[in-house]
Amino acid sequence: MSLLAEKNTPTVAVQRRGFSEFALRLRVSGVLAFLFLVGLIFSLLTPQFFTVQNATAIASNAAILSIVAAAQAIVLLTRNVDVSVGSMMGFTAYLTADYASRHPNVGAELVLLALVIGLGLGMINGLLVAYGRVSSLIATLATMSLYRGFTYMYAHGQEVTSNKLPKWMLHSVDLRVWGIPALVIVCIFVVVLVAIFLRHYPIGRRIYAVGSNPLATVFYGLRIQRVVLLAYGLSGLLCGFAGLLYAARVGTVTVILASGWEMSSLAAAVIGGVSVTGGSGTVIGAALGALVLATIDNGLVLLGIPEFWRMFIQGSSIVAAAAVDVFIGARIRKSLQGQRFGRRAA
Amino acid sequence: MKGRWAWKPSQWEMMLAILTVAAGAWSAQLSPYYLNLDQIADSTRQFIFPGLLALGLMVVVVLGEIDISLASTLAVGTVLFSKFSECHVQVWIALPIVIGICGLLGALNGLLVAGLRLPSLAVTLGTMGAYRGLAFIIGSERGYTDFDDSYLWVGSERVLGDILPISFILFAIASLAVGFVMHYTVFGRRCFAVGRNNDAAWFSGIKVRTIKIRAYTLAGALAAFAALVWVGQYGSARGDNADGAILFVVTAVVLGGVDINGGKGTVLGVVLALFLLGTIRNGMGLANIAGPIQTVVLGGLLTVGVLLPALSASTSHFLHLLLPRRSTPK
Amino acid sequence: MSESASSLTALRVAGVSKTYGVSRALADVSFDILRGRVHALLGENGAGKSTLVKIITGIVEADSGQIFVGSKAVHFRTPIEARIAGIAAVYQDPKLFAHLDVAENIFMGAYPTTLAGTVDRKTMYERAESALRQLGLALDPRSLIAGLSVAELQFVEIARALVADLQLLILDEPTSALTPAESGRLFKIIRTLRDKGKSVLLITHRLEEVEEIADDITVLRDGRHVATRPASEINRTALVQMMVGRPIETLFARRQSAGLGKEILRVEKLGLLGKFAEVSFSLRAGEIVGMAGLVGAGRSEIAQSLFGIRPPSTGRVYLNGRRVIPRDPNQMLRLGLAYLPEDRDSQGLILPESIVDNVTLPIVGRLARFGVLNRASERQIATSAIATYDVKATSVDQPVSSLSGGNRQKVAFAKWLATKPTALILDEPTHGIDIGSKAQVHRITIDLADSGLGVLLISSDLPELLAISDRILVIAEGRLVSEFSREEATQEKVMMAATQDVRGLAQ
Repeated sequence: MSLLAEKNTPTVAVQRRGFSEFALRLRVSGVLAFLFLVGLIFSLLTPQFFTVQNATAIASNAAILSIVAAAQAIVLLTRNVDVSVGSMMGFTAYLTADYASRHPNVGAELVLLALVIGLGLGMINGLLVAYGRVSSLIATLATMSLYRGFTYMYAHGQEVTSNKLPKWMLHSVDLRVWGIPALVIVCIFVVVLVAIFLRHYPIGRRIYAVGSNPLATVFYGLRIQRVVLLAYGLSGLLCGFAGLLYAARVGTVTVILASGWEMSSLAAAVIGGVSVTGGSGTVIGAALGALVLATIDNGLVLLGIPEFWRMFIQGSSIVAAAAVDVFIGARIRKSLQGQRFGRRAA
Repeated sequence: MKGRWAWKPSQWEMMLAILTVAAGAWSAQLSPYYLNLDQIADSTRQFIFPGLLALGLMVVVVLGEIDISLASTLAVGTVLFSKFSECHVQVWIALPIVIGICGLLGALNGLLVAGLRLPSLAVTLGTMGAYRGLAFIIGSERGYTDFDDSYLWVGSERVLGDILPISFILFAIASLAVGFVMHYTVFGRRCFAVGRNNDAAWFSGIKVRTIKIRAYTLAGALAAFAALVWVGQYGSARGDNADGAILFVVTAVVLGGVDINGGKGTVLGVVLALFLLGTIRNGMGLANIAGPIQTVVLGGLLTVGVLLPALSASTSHFLHLLLPRRSTPK
Repeated sequence: MSESASSLTALRVAGVSKTYGVSRALADVSFDILRGRVHALLGENGAGKSTLVKIITGIVEADSGQIFVGSKAVHFRTPIEARIAGIAAVYQDPKLFAHLDVAENIFMGAYPTTLAGTVDRKTMYERAESALRQLGLALDPRSLIAGLSVAELQFVEIARALVADLQLLILDEPTSALTPAESGRLFKIIRTLRDKGKSVLLITHRLEEVEEIADDITVLRDGRHVATRPASEINRTALVQMMVGRPIETLFARRQSAGLGKEILRVEKLGLLGKFAEVSFSLRAGEIVGMAGLVGAGRSEIAQSLFGIRPPSTGRVYLNGRRVIPRDPNQMLRLGLAYLPEDRDSQGLILPESIVDNVTLPIVGRLARFGVLNRASERQIATSAIATYDVKATSVDQPVSSLSGGNRQKVAFAKWLATKPTALILDEPTHGIDIGSKAQVHRITIDLADSGLGVLLISSDLPELLAISDRILVIAEGRLVSEFSREEATQEKVMMAATQDVRGLAQ
């Protein structure tokens, strides 16, 4: 019987190894496949879809969302969530736009301002969740309204119209390099930067570890609190930058700018394969998820379908992605526990 | 939950009551319009429909889960009512149907959370969007305002010398009902047990999956009532109804002393918290404090509400640091 | 400590004690682990082995005593500190990150970095590969952890220990999930480490493995150090004697079994993939059947499977003569089977709730009128329960957390018995409670059996089993290996059966 057990071992191990690895690696290719499929469907349904002009429009729309999706992805990796992303964007957008309108000679230090504001907002989230031990949903729900409220208070109901913003800011968004909008290039650059950070720097790897197995982190000397604080700080930083970009893009900054982006960023991230239970997923995937959402939006517009189907699609995709993710996660957990007597006691 | 039928309001609840009175005093001092029975009665409308949602949310939270899709379910309810009104269906026929559908939406949440074991955060974040989208799809972009009078009755009419809103009576009945269920019935006892200790409850023979589905369904059904109140109160139905109201609802539940991790809380606490929040909101309105600032205050209250247990924990943590170290149990 | 002595000693345990509440996990344990030796640590369940390891690796703190590494006194507060000092432990449940690959798991927390501060993947994979090759593993360091077999997971953990500057490797029951071939490979690694001058502390119950590979053996019993000897000086019989040898306490009532009734529970070829298989036994009214075995042998799994917590994959269960398919605890409770969980505080009771709420939780439905709670009945039942079981409490409204372990256990008993079961499974009912309550629990158990219940008693306390069981079943590694009647059972026989190697067993 022990001989039989020996013979069985390789096949069982390979099978299990095969599926879990396959499933994890499937995620990114899955998004690409989904993107391709969606693109194909829309191309067939309307001739206006498959043009360079349209593709550029889609990319521009996806660009800023991809940064916010990346921000959300970082937080999701640690097994937390951040629903204050829209408010952080709005707050930063308003403050920087207002500042720019009052100091017309401002230059690139505006970017620095946006980053600092975003970082600060993100750190508050991080402090609440990591050190205040507040559940991440509740904490960011609270800050979501706090930050939005602060925006209102600061604005006194005024909006910052585009004629008040520095020209370079507004024009920079329209710039094109070899036909590709500068906005898209900047966003790709940022996302790639974040991706490199997460993949190649030890701190980035720790973010994955914390979400993958928070209980084991004590055995590796990882301090969960610091990692979570960092994740939220990064999220705020990215959202701050995204807010500035958004202000430049729309020109007129209102107080409700970017409301609802929390849903979109979450949808983009989970569609892009980021797990809601932490530990797995990539910002590239999240960016691709943003592209998918933008494509769907674009297609719906071209087909004349009302915009609010988008909300329905976004919400349903979050649930569907969560289901897929839990399924995969269960298989992974099972394989990690292994089977004690499986081969003998069969 | 001591003694036979008697209870003693807890410290937290008494504090809420005191704070409400204080908020009332502050409001009265702010504005001469406050201390008017008519005004106060009318102001309760501020928290009736969120209150109904909060009652449902409380049950779910006691079980250790969360549901942030309730405001979206309410929107589905209002647009459904508008459709029925358009077809000139009597509200008494429409109501049970809408309750059924909203309950089904809740049950779907429950199935995903308890049946498929998906994290309730992700599920209700998703259904929050999906149901909101559904509300838009069912309703029209413009919104419906042409309601039959029968639909408006609950949300707008008043009795007892034209002072007491009917919706308040509805809320009172709902509170008593949910309070009774949570604190005096088998279902309620089991909810608390599951929220306190999921494993031990299951080992004791409680069907955890079933009870969670039931709780989510109840929350959905209550949202239908909230939708009816909304329709009467605002006279309109559109996909974006109550968008963002979930913050108020969650704040009311947290401030009401319900532990976000489950197993602890009272309906009385939630009701008192609703009164407190309503009074603060009313006072702020009278003081002409802008809506957005009110939102900030709300967010701040929520933050304080959740931080309190952590604050008290860290204070005792500090004390432990000063005392000689104790070993960690196995 | 003299220079020559310290150069021979990798780790010295001196007078270590640890108490958890009423139970004494370790009492004044002292021994040395020498350099370049494989040191086996033996003992029954509850002897204190895992507590000692936790203290050595810095997971818990000792109440008193000292640990010396070489000649230096050390005090680790986290496992990382222990690891830096060269002490690493590998446990049965892997503490790895499923979403990362093998090399990253090995180097997490101590990545090799380039000048730019990035992770030097090339070096990382090379070093991981060499560490794995040292272990004789042809494992690709790039493969994800999710998908590896249990053996491979363990080897990854050992590789992780190797890349740090290892002095002492602690292995906690490493071969329990390995095939003979994999165990052989593990032993080769252990020998290689030893030959390199490292020390290995091996916690195991497999006496034949101890004979095969151990250089020194330490036996713990009831938290006390019994002996430390070179392996060459003792034989298996002596070892078992050291592990269990103690006078049987006359404190426990001896069971005079009354007549046995009809069969209440019959189990045929019960199996749960990965946990246990081919388990068959029966339980009659009035009988107390003991179930002995080592931790991890599968006893709790069998019981929980019967109770519907993790339904069995194969086999048949008959309760009161009728075939049942366990699905969930709710069903089994209604059919008359009750299970007192081993983990009393987190699975058996809801600690922050009151006595009355705990005791009546399974039966609230039965007592209620039209769904409304019947507080009066509940209090009545709770009050009579604390009187019957002599629970030291001032009122039934007291939270259970304020009671001592023994009293909590009695409340747990009251709770399950309130459901009026016909068969009762007790999982380590006297674990961690004081001697007085222990005796009371035994009395209660005997009375229950005498009144017609069938009791299945899972216990690691051999004297207890011998005192009150009518029969003793022995489970080893998921199989029912022996059955002893009360007359023929002795502690040694039971322990021998429990430590048997089942891998050679035919179907």
